[in-house]
Amino acid sequence: MKIDSGDTAWVLASAALVMLMTPALGFFYGGLVRRKNVLSTIMHSFFILCLISVQWVLWGYSLAFGPDKFHLIGGLEWVGLNNVGFTPNADYAPTIPHQAYMVFQMMFAVITPALISGAFAERQRFKAFVIFSLLWATFVYDPIAHWVWGAGGWLHNLGALDFAGGTVVHISSGVSALVAALVLGRRLGFGKEKVEPHDATMTVLGACLLWFGWFGFNAGSAVAAGSLATSAFVVTNTATAMAALTWMTVSWWHKRQPSVLGAAAGAVAGLVAITPASGFVNVMGAIVIGFGAGVFCYMAIQLRERIHVDDALDVWAVHGIGGTWGALATGLFATVAINSTAANGLFYGNPKQVLYQLAAIGASWAWAAIGTFVILKIVNLFVPLRVQEDEEVLGLDISQHGEPAYAL
Amino acid sequence: MDATTVLAIICSAIVFAGWVVLPHSATTIVKASVVSEEERTPVSVSA
Repeated sequence: MKIDSGDTAWVLASAALVMLMTPALGFFYGGLVRRKNVLSTIMHSFFILCLISVQWVLWGYSLAFGPDKFHLIGGLEWVGLNNVGFTPNADYAPTIPHQAYMVFQMMFAVITPALISGAFAERQRFKAFVIFSLLWATFVYDPIAHWVWGAGGWLHNLGALDFAGGTVVHISSGVSALVAALVLGRRLGFGKEKVEPHDATMTVLGACLLWFGWFGFNAGSAVAAGSLATSAFVVTNTATAMAALTWMTVSWWHKRQPSVLGAAAGAVAGLVAITPASGFVNVMGAIVIGFGAGVFCYMAIQLRERIHVDDALDVWAVHGIGGTWGALATGLFATVAINSTAANGLFYGNPKQVLYQLAAIGASWAWAAIGTFVILKIVNLFVPLRVQEDEEVLGLDISQHGEPAYAL
Repeated sequence: MDATTVLAIICSAIVFAGWVVLPHSATTIVKASVVSEEERTPVSVSA
């Protein structure tokens, strides 16, 4: 196998783009919390970037992408990047060094647990967060990544399509966020006092940086610099824009004003929804997917508010529901005209693909929910998940980190 | 024109047409609750 310099350059640049998404997420979330918790919220993302970067090279990559064991998990043959060198791996990316593929995938593993942190913002003990994140990455993310993307993984073998992580990244984090919100309970004063985002500009800036980084996430998943990457780039931008327009319109109709934060949240919902489909659908499919993301994710937030679940930054509504819609929509709108190595969806004459997508959705929901619940209960045996009431009132920036965000 | 294109056109039409009937000004005026230092006293920017 010959290394292609163009492909390698694109995948390494994409890895850097995806890396930027995690601190961008920190800013997106950081603007949405109260001033007393902004630093701790940003720290969740920054810390996970460091933690999973180490976990991934030690054992994460091996569990997710290593030689298959029972179609469920990768083996330990690649622990410490043993056997993961510069020779391309034909199963994953035949034209780039194996380590380039590894580091690209690392950035996906990094951002996924960071996404969950929005659910328990403003109340989780940092030490509990640290232990939870390490266990979650190992026992929830790595197995699902192997099922869907690993050579020999059972969902991969079944024929389920997930180009860049609708099930692996977004359903897993979104569903886990819902479970975490339920297990931790509501913030003090939830539903009684108004919790306003402390800096909407920070959130919009974070959303813009996420959008920018997402081109690496989706177009980089082609693992080659060619027409498929171009198509993924175009549909990503189209679906994102359509979702932002749709969300803003729905919220305008519902709340009588066009919300800026709503437009930003809509853009993120669109990015989420197009992720699994980005290498399989054409630009018309992207418009429908973006429209659905704007409508369904907005409705999910209304439902979440109605049942009084304190998923603080709506991770479940945006990532869980957006990822589910995107995975299902892949089964509807996929076409071999875009990706000849994949399959057609329902609208192109292959209704079976919807069943494969439903299997992937169901498996991801179940594993993420059960795994997260068990991990949280285990962590709680050793470290209380929540901070004490006085610490929560004081704010996590001071109580957990001893630093204020702003010296005003 | 395939079914996906028809759906995409319908979705776009719903959003674009929606703007025609949506309110064109805020129904609730929110007054600023904080007066910034700059608004209270003019700030000199000269050296």
